[in-house]
Amino acid sequence: MNSITKNIVRYVLFTIIQALIFNRLEIGFGIHLMVHPLFIMLLPFEINVFVLMLLAFSMGAIIDVFSNTYGLYASSLLLMAYFRPIIFKFYSPREGYDPLKEPSIVDMGSRWFLLVFGYLLLIHHFWYFLIEIFRIDEFLFILQKTIFSLIASFLLCLLIQTFLIKKSSAK
Amino acid sequence: MRNLIAFFRRFRVFLFFLFLQIIALSIYVQYLSFPKNQYLTTAAFTTAKVLEAENEITKHFALSENNTALQRENVRLRKKLPQSLYRIDRSLLKINDTAFKQQYSYIPATLINSTVSRRNNYFTLDAGRQQGIHRGMGVFSDKGVVGIVHNTSEHYCVVKSVLTKDINIDVTIEPIGLFGLLKWNGRNPRYGNITGISNDLHIKKWSKVITRGGSGIFPRGLTVGRVERIKVIEGEPVWDVVIKFSENFRTLQRVYIVKNLMIEEQHALENQIPPDPEE
Repeated sequence: MNSITKNIVRYVLFTIIQALIFNRLEIGFGIHLMVHPLFIMLLPFEINVFVLMLLAFSMGAIIDVFSNTYGLYASSLLLMAYFRPIIFKFYSPREGYDPLKEPSIVDMGSRWFLLVFGYLLLIHHFWYFLIEIFRIDEFLFILQKTIFSLIASFLLCLLIQTFLIKKSSAK
Repeated sequence: MRNLIAFFRRFRVFLFFLFLQIIALSIYVQYLSFPKNQYLTTAAFTTAKVLEAENEITKHFALSENNTALQRENVRLRKKLPQSLYRIDRSLLKINDTAFKQQYSYIPATLINSTVSRRNNYFTLDAGRQQGIHRGMGVFSDKGVVGIVHNTSEHYCVVKSVLTKDINIDVTIEPIGLFGLLKWNGRNPRYGNITGISNDLHIKKWSKVITRGGSGIFPRGLTVGRVERIKVIEGEPVWDVVIKFSENFRTLQRVYIVKNLMIEEQHALENQIPPDPEE
């Protein structure tokens, strides 16, 4: 499949899944599952920064519209998109990134993915809960929500990725 | 000038990021307190249509539970019908009731979208301006208070539920008659808090919490929940009262919207109070 069509399909799919399914799930302990950051992560290495930020902003805004959060998702996803090139640069291999590869766990290895996606997801989640709660006396609650949601979302993203990658290699 | 252009070129990524971030945050801050229109919320037409289609599928998940709840309410209401009452005075004629006048009327609605795990939870209902719904009307279910209408569109409305930071519904603890404001701390959707009850009065566990009906949003006496425990706040002369909501918001589907037919009269009267010169 063409890279552009593949990413359009992913954009629609991740938005629908996040807005209509994972936003409704309530697990307890302050866990809030978010898988849409994975879409921003899986975009090609060579993507223009402006396109990247616009994609993140629009995707966040669409999810916002569906869950009455008024710009919360847009803001946090935008922050993650802004930090993506910076963290990618920091953890780049010595010979640079291979543009044919995808920034997924299968192509880049588990150690690289764990670090890069872990940091990005941490930024995203922390900003999200910080803006959502926005109170200093509930800072421990923010941390609790961030850490629990981070672990749950990360595991879920790994699971989704194994499904996605298996499908594309079968074709 | 050259420096300025060089500055923009150097920081263009960051400036673009800042620009979008400011848009997102300003929308967030604005809509949280007072939404100007319905386009960016679930009350918008296209969003509500999608959610309605989704609700068509998911509403059946809790169907039996909802049916029993509705059935129970029907039984209770049926008991009050004239047919089910025994007539003692057979010669009584139907007279125009002048002792009681209708103050509240109720509009039924169905939840098509809801969350319970956020810090601020909003519910979307399938009734809007066409059904006569305005911002500020109360919403309740057969078990308890649900929230206050936050934003409306032609056919849908968004409700600010009691599971939000600043809902501040005035409630009374029966039978003492103490009143305070209802709050939610964002942890558990089954428990809420009441603030502003001074700690020189004793409150019994499991005493009933009802709406006070002071602001004209809710009629007096709607159930909110029961007192679960009372905590002392250090250095403050008030109790922190924890209540258990009688409604389980996770399975909530059918609600009623309160229409106060005398709200304008009340507001007109209250606006005549002269403003405090010290404020």
